[in-house]
Amino acid sequence: MEKVVIIRYAEIHLKGKNRGYFEHVFSMNLEKSLKGIRHELHRTSGRWLVANFPEELADDVAARVSKVFGVHSYSIGYLVNSDLDTVYACAKLVAPREGTFKVVTHRGYKKYPLTSMEISAAIGGRLLSDFPALSVDVHDPEHTVYIDIRDGGSALVFGSFGEGAGGMPVGTSGKGLLMISGGIDSPVAGYMMAKRGLFVELLHFHSYPYTNEGAKEKVVELGRQLSQYTQVHLLRTVSVTHIQEEIHAKCKAEFNVTLLRRFMFRIAERIAKRVEAGCLVTGESLGQVASQTLEGMTSSNAVVTLPVLRPLVGFDKDEIIMRAKKIGTYDISVLPYEDCCTVFLPEFPATRPKLAAVEAEEQKLDVEALIEESLATVERIEL
Amino acid sequence: MIYLDNAATTPPLESAFERAAREYRELYYNPSARYGGGFAVRKKIEEARKEILSVVADPALFELIFTSCGTEADNHAVFSCARRGNAVTSAGEHSAIERSFTELKNRGVEPRFAPLNLDGSVKIPELLSLVDDRTTLVSVVHVNNETGAINDIAEIARSVKRKNPRVIVHSDGVQAFGKLPFRLPKEVDLYSISAHKIGALKGTGALIKRKDLTLAPFIHGGGQEGGLRSGTENVLGILDFAYAAAERAACIADSYSRVAALRADMWDRLQKSEYHFFCASPEAGSPYILTLLAIDSRGEVLQRMLFDRGVCVGTGSACSSKERFSRVMRACGYAEEVLDGVLRVSFSPETTQEEVELAAREMISAAMEFKGKL
Repeated sequence: MEKVVIIRYAEIHLKGKNRGYFEHVFSMNLEKSLKGIRHELHRTSGRWLVANFPEELADDVAARVSKVFGVHSYSIGYLVNSDLDTVYACAKLVAPREGTFKVVTHRGYKKYPLTSMEISAAIGGRLLSDFPALSVDVHDPEHTVYIDIRDGGSALVFGSFGEGAGGMPVGTSGKGLLMISGGIDSPVAGYMMAKRGLFVELLHFHSYPYTNEGAKEKVVELGRQLSQYTQVHLLRTVSVTHIQEEIHAKCKAEFNVTLLRRFMFRIAERIAKRVEAGCLVTGESLGQVASQTLEGMTSSNAVVTLPVLRPLVGFDKDEIIMRAKKIGTYDISVLPYEDCCTVFLPEFPATRPKLAAVEAEEQKLDVEALIEESLATVERIEL
Repeated sequence: MIYLDNAATTPPLESAFERAAREYRELYYNPSARYGGGFAVRKKIEEARKEILSVVADPALFELIFTSCGTEADNHAVFSCARRGNAVTSAGEHSAIERSFTELKNRGVEPRFAPLNLDGSVKIPELLSLVDDRTTLVSVVHVNNETGAINDIAEIARSVKRKNPRVIVHSDGVQAFGKLPFRLPKEVDLYSISAHKIGALKGTGALIKRKDLTLAPFIHGGGQEGGLRSGTENVLGILDFAYAAAERAACIADSYSRVAALRADMWDRLQKSEYHFFCASPEAGSPYILTLLAIDSRGEVLQRMLFDRGVCVGTGSACSSKERFSRVMRACGYAEEVLDGVLRVSFSPETTQEEVELAAREMISAAMEFKGKL
């Protein structure tokens, strides 16, 4: 009687002739998520099975695989011989002790001496006599006991389904570069794009000594939390300190943020090209702050050619916060380390910067030299 | 690294730590154990208790309870003594007192805060006017940890008790102990001190109390510290505290005047520089603290620039939007525009003249550099 974790996948079946590739990537991602735990991963008809892990780690295995994109649902169950007595012994372990229930049997192995209905009836009947507080309800049961009779004389028995992360296997949609701040939004944006199969590299801009180590440490923590889903264990950081100083010294205060964002986009695009990422990802949400207006986005987009994906663009803050809480980044994001010093915050930022005005203001700066200088400060942090 | 953030914490005094660690290796027994080893440790703790107490108080009048830190000592004092009526403190307290007083509201005791003079000392007439016949506790910090201003706690205690003899007077002496040559007057009932501000380990503090004062237990359990603060004693921390205290006490007056000269010298250098520093520490304050306002600058940014140049100083402001300005400095009456630039330079008896010169030079050049960028 071996404890196993059964994994069912989402969407991959839609992939026609590419299915083999998607399944391969999915498999690799499952393996990555289980790094450090002894296990075997088996592909069976229409699902994956994690077996041969230390039994006490069953919940841990399930928690880890549940976060792998492409997992539709999972169950912790037992892999046993398919003779009826053994199956029943397992069913007793997963069955409730009271309330209503039903038994659902799938019989993949068609030569099994009993039909699905007969197996369900036999197991259900025995459960009823062993647990008198149980009663059968085939329409709306509180509990369901699932039995899968498989080829080769084995059976899977399990009692419930857990919800997986859904989406597509990370890596099947190419690579992108997430501009991650210490805030609530950008980690959620990264999560959402990874969910659609994007391999999400991380880039963080800091302005030490105007910001402190705590702010950077916070992003490292966010990256770690996110990596459970995205399986990316590297964070790049870049200093934009001198750029901020130059903007502050030479340009109109109202354009500070707009100008800085244009620099960030340019730097991000250059790094994206270096790491062969095909898009930039940001956590912008339309109208959320002064720089996230249509005009702000226009002015940022104007300096890059890569597509900029903004998965949160139509989300309310509440919706973003709800998702951040779900993926565990919210509590880290709200730690009190600012990622921008108040020195550089204009009192009245331009909310509708005209592209021509922004470009004219930017003429005052040696854009190329500042970018090069900034790129020389790239640091790599293993998460 | 030139370390001038000694009001935050201090580097370990080697000799004291070595001695404490050596003894602790042998005396690891539980001090409550009823065999020889246990008694030996107990004896060490009692010797340490006397040693520390005698630095500042008359052992015939006062006794000492070990705690886990100065904050615990402050909390013990406040929550044991302020149980009804009102309790009076100053607006210049460490957050250990300030937050505890705020909590008193939830426990049915009215907290009252007396205003400060510009230098950070409490306005004594205003403080006294808050004391009435329903006052149970008055707590006033001995040395203001943000400006170094010294409150005359002896005089305050006497005046308070003239007005209402039943009031218990507490003082947070964390920045004074081992630094100011000072004896606790009998009118002060309770006094908090901390080990890591004088070169001993973090994790040990003490509440000094007048012997005839009855306190309620703060932590219940095995009955250690006369039943007032249960929990197996932090033996290593206590021994280290005692040896560091002894070392500091042996030359407390010499250190005081030497550090005073260093502080004066540093201020002299800063004052004469091309940068506009403003001194927020009173002349007559603790020489161990020199608080500056670097006008038009940001303390937190300067602090990191200085750290990267090998000079470690404290600050009273943060770049964050939440609690950006120091509560205490604000209470002194400074305008927000100047509070961004608070720097706190704090010395130790080990600070050298050479360090002061180097640090002053770096402070001036960092401040000028910062100014150039804005």
